[in-house]
This record gives sequence, structure tokens and C-alpha cells, in this order.
Amino acid sequence: MNFLNSLQKLKITVFISLALIAVPTVQASSHSGPELEIAGNNISNQASLRHGAELFGKKCMTCHSVKYMRYNRIAKDLGWTNEEVLKAMGKTKNRAVDTLKGGMSDSVAKMVFHTKIPDLSLMARLKGPDYIYSFLRGFEVNKETGKMDNKFLPGTKMPNIMPRPKDEAGMAKYNEDTRDLVNFLEYVSEPSKLQRHALGWKVLLFLFIMFIFAYLLKREYWKDIKH
Amino acid sequence: MSNETKSNPSGLLSWLDHRYPLISTWNHHIGQYYAPKNFNFWYFFGALALLVLVNQFVTGIWLTMSYKPDALEAFNSVEYIMRDVNWGWLIRYLHSTGASAFFIVVYLHMMRGLLYGSYKEPRELVWIIGMLLFFVLMAEAFMGYLLPWGQMSYWGAQVIISLFGAIPVIGPDLATWVKGDYVISDVTLNRFFALHVIALPIVLIILVFMHIVALHQVGSNNPDGVEIKKYKNEKGLPLDGITFHPYYSVKDSMGVVFFMFFFAVVVFYMPDGGGYFLEAPNFEPANPLKTPAHIAPVWYFTPFYAILRAIPDKLMGVMAMGASIGILFTMPWLDRCKVKSIRYRGVSYKVLLAMFVVSFVVLGWSGTQPATPETTKLARIFTATYFLFFIILPYTSAREKTKPVPERLT
Repeated sequence: MNFLNSLQKLKITVFISLALIAVPTVQASSHSGPELEIAGNNISNQASLRHGAELFGKKCMTCHSVKYMRYNRIAKDLGWTNEEVLKAMGKTKNRAVDTLKGGMSDSVAKMVFHTKIPDLSLMARLKGPDYIYSFLRGFEVNKETGKMDNKFLPGTKMPNIMPRPKDEAGMAKYNEDTRDLVNFLEYVSEPSKLQRHALGWKVLLFLFIMFIFAYLLKREYWKDIKH
Repeated sequence: MSNETKSNPSGLLSWLDHRYPLISTWNHHIGQYYAPKNFNFWYFFGALALLVLVNQFVTGIWLTMSYKPDALEAFNSVEYIMRDVNWGWLIRYLHSTGASAFFIVVYLHMMRGLLYGSYKEPRELVWIIGMLLFFVLMAEAFMGYLLPWGQMSYWGAQVIISLFGAIPVIGPDLATWVKGDYVISDVTLNRFFALHVIALPIVLIILVFMHIVALHQVGSNNPDGVEIKKYKNEKGLPLDGITFHPYYSVKDSMGVVFFMFFFAVVVFYMPDGGGYFLEAPNFEPANPLKTPAHIAPVWYFTPFYAILRAIPDKLMGVMAMGASIGILFTMPWLDRCKVKSIRYRGVSYKVLLAMFVVSFVVLGWSGTQPATPETTKLARIFTATYFLFFIILPYTSAREKTKPVPERLT
């Protein structure tokens, strides 16, 4: 009887767990169009994040901002000093407490591109790293218009800032640059991700051990209950 | 009486007890509250709902310290919490994960009631107060979801508030009155904030208090659906009952740690819950001029949202959605079978309940999907079966071939 009871309990537990796991995940964006390339980036790779930060500071920030991010936070998370982060990102005129402002104001952008330049703070959470990766690599000449366009965002005003190398020799660097850039963007979209991954397993380990004690305590008390 | 304590309190406790019914309250609700000894897995979810409520209160208070209910600042202040406030990200994820966990726990808690007939005489009021709690919880969650002021916050609220507009004659004025403006604006955000952090939490606390008081008046049901008060010993204590403390307090503690483990997995490793707990489009600030291509409410509303969308007429859809929740209140009277637990009930109830659960899950899924002819057709079929449960139940439950119910707990 007792065995049957625990078997039934187990069945219910397994059923509910499976039901929760089986729920399909929602796509990061309602993306429709060509299939996305997989970025394969890893935010725990600090060298990649630093390289991404350098590229972002020197290339993307000519226009784009990351208005919720400060240089000193990047320094702290990526193991740089405040001076080092400003130097690496080519922003020695800025202070470390400043947020990452883009080089182009809205009014200039309106004249040049006839649109606003999107802030990239949360782009990776909004669209997913794979989308950004694919977008960066998705520039090609439109056969109908003969102009440069992006197959993931047709009609984009953004110039092809990281052109695909003509030969195989440059591909390794090209892959690395685009991936590290996406890695950096994923990091700035949620800098606390590094912290929560670092803390999470400790919390889980603590709860696991606590569960053993909670279970033993329960068993001790329930000894006198006859079924 | 069992409520009288045998120990002779002295000192501070005695002083307090003369002025406040400390010992008798403790005994009535915890120390001498006799619960059936055969609670199974399903009986953890009441305690867990209370745990999540406390989590929402504590994390909510701390979020309020840094959040700004201002259409221009709300989105920024949430990112400020996520990045610049010490442990802000943890507090925010505990709160956002807590919202979804609340509904998971409450849905399972309600399922327990349906399985073991916990809504039946003499527990009708426990069920009704519980249903009121569910209703207020939905309002609380809906208003909380506007506060981050992202695209889904804004347009989700837009869709739901526009439903008031479907009511004949007063509808459009009512929708404007709820918004406090002709569109969802700073005014709406401020009043939703007031309701979310003050008004509705107070209502929730009062209802939780009443839910527990009503339960302790009639006593807990159990997986056998047998009243333990029927067989008592010479002291008048139920033979099959054990005191809540220490037996269920230690057992629930175990359940709490078990639950917290899975909760922590979500908080630390998948706080957006695969796009269901935090929707990706909500990482873009609210823009009244840009309607998203696909507006989906958070997962816990999708079964009811699917029913709304399944009906072609807006007013009828709103009424069907209201009815899908409202009809649950009447369960104690729709179910006319005297046997409580599904263990001893006939095949008809088992089949009907399975149909109801499948309908609820499929409707929930279809509510997350963009409306296509296929999903609409699916939603229509399962809207029909959802209501069919309540329509057939009074007929079959009165004629059910039940198994013999044991006199005592098995």
C-alpha cells in the first residue's frame, strides 16, 4: 500500500514535470524570412566579450548607443580598469561613469538616414543573438535594384559595416568578429546574466542539501503516523 | 474542548494571552488543527500559493523603492533596477517568476479541488472565496503587467480594456473611464500602479484570511473525500486526523524547499521562461503609434483569451470569456454527485474532467498563437468542449455509477 502510494506520487510528479518541460519555447522574435544563422556565442568567454567591446566602441558607436550601460560596469564585468575600458573602446574623452552614447544625434540621423538610430541596449533580448548575427552577415546586393540590401531586414538604412571577405582567408577573422560583437550585445542586454549564472548553482546546491534535511525531519516526525 | 491548552502559560506569554487570544488562535489554526493524515502531492499547492504570495509582497515592496510609475520613466526605471540597483535583477526576476509561479500553483490547487470534490458540501464557501481570490489575482497580474511599460504591456492592456467597449450603451464611456484618458497613457499607468500595489493586495490578504478561516471551520477534505470528523476518539479528536503542526508544517517545509529548487532554476537560468514568463517584445518600450503584428497575453490568461477570440462577435466573445470563469463559481451546485473523490466516482466524471483539462490546455496553447483559420477552428472546438463539461455535468453527476466509499481513510 505504502509502495503503491509513493509510486502514485512519483507518477504525478513525473507527469507534471514532463508537462512543464514539454511546453515549446516561444521564438525570441516573430521572425519571418530566411533561416537564421546560429551565432554560437558564449557570454562567459571574457576574451570574446572584450574583443566585442573594442569592435563595438570603434565601429558601431559611430552611430549606435547602449544608453542603459556604463563604461565602468563593462570594466568591472570584463576585468578591465576604468582607464583600460575607455582606451579599448576608443572613448578616452569620456568618463567611466558615462553611459554608452552613440556618435550621431537624432537630428543628424534624421537628415542622413531619414530615421532614428535604434539603441542597442536590449536588442539581443528583443530579437535574439542569432538574429543580430544573421543581420550583420546578411548584407548582399539586391538583384532587382542593384543596391546593397539586407536579406533579414530589407530596406534597412544601416550600411554594411562588416563586409564579408572576398576570399576564404579572411573568413576566420570575419566569423570571430561578428560572433564577438553579438556576444558583447548579448552581454549588454542583460549584464546581470553573468552574476546569476555564477550564483545560481550555489543556490541550487544549498536548496538540494536543505531538501535532504527537510525530508529527514519530515520522516522523523511522521514515524509515529500509521497508515 | 480540544482548544483548551493543558500547559499553564506563565510570564510574558500569560500576560499576552490575557489580552490577546494568542494560544487559542494558534491552537485553532495550527497547533490543534486536525487535518486528514493522507494528504498527497496535490495538497502542497495551498501552502505554496501562500509562499508565492509572501514572495510577491516582499519583492514587490523592494521593486517599488526604485520603480517609477511614469510613462516617460517606467521602462527606464525597470532597466535601472536590472543594472544599477544592487541585487535589483534578482528582486525583479523573483517577482516576475513569482507571477507565473503563482498561476501554476493556483491552477494545480484548483485542479486538486476538482479531483477530490473539495468544493462540495460543506466546503462551498471555501471554493467560492477561492474563486474570488483567483479572480482578484488575475486583475492583480493584469495591472502589474502594464507597469514595465513595454510593447506587450501596452498593447495587451489595450486589448483587454477595449473589451469594456463591447458592452452595449455604456461600453465606450466605461472603457474611457477605466483608462482615465482616451488612450492608455500616463494616467492609466498611475492608476494601475495604485491598484496593483495597494488596493488589490489588500483585497487579496483579506480573501486569503477568509479562505483559511472558512477552511478551518469545516476542516480539510482529502484524497479519499471522507469526512474525518465522522469517527472520533473519546477526547473528541478525529481518529484519522493529525495536527497541522508539527506533521504538516514539516511536510510542507519539505514541499517548500522542493518548490524553491525549481523556482530557483527558472530565476537563475531561464528567467524569461522560454519567452512565456517574460515576452521578448516587452523589451521594447511602449509605443502607442506602433501596433505589434502579434499581441499575445501572458500564458496564464491565454485559455480565456482563446475563448474570447474563438467567438466571432465581440460582445458574445466577452460574455463567453466572462462565463468561462464565472461558471467555475457554481461548481458546488453543478456537480450533483454525493461522492467527493475521483477515486470512487464513476467513469463519466473521469472522462468529463479529462476533457475539461485537455480543453483548458489546448485553449491555453492556441491563445499564444497568432489567429489563423486553423488555430481559430481549434479554439472553437475546445471552447465548446470547455463549456460542455459544465453543461453535461449536472445530468451525469446525478446518475453516476459510483464505487463504494470507505468509512475511514485508506
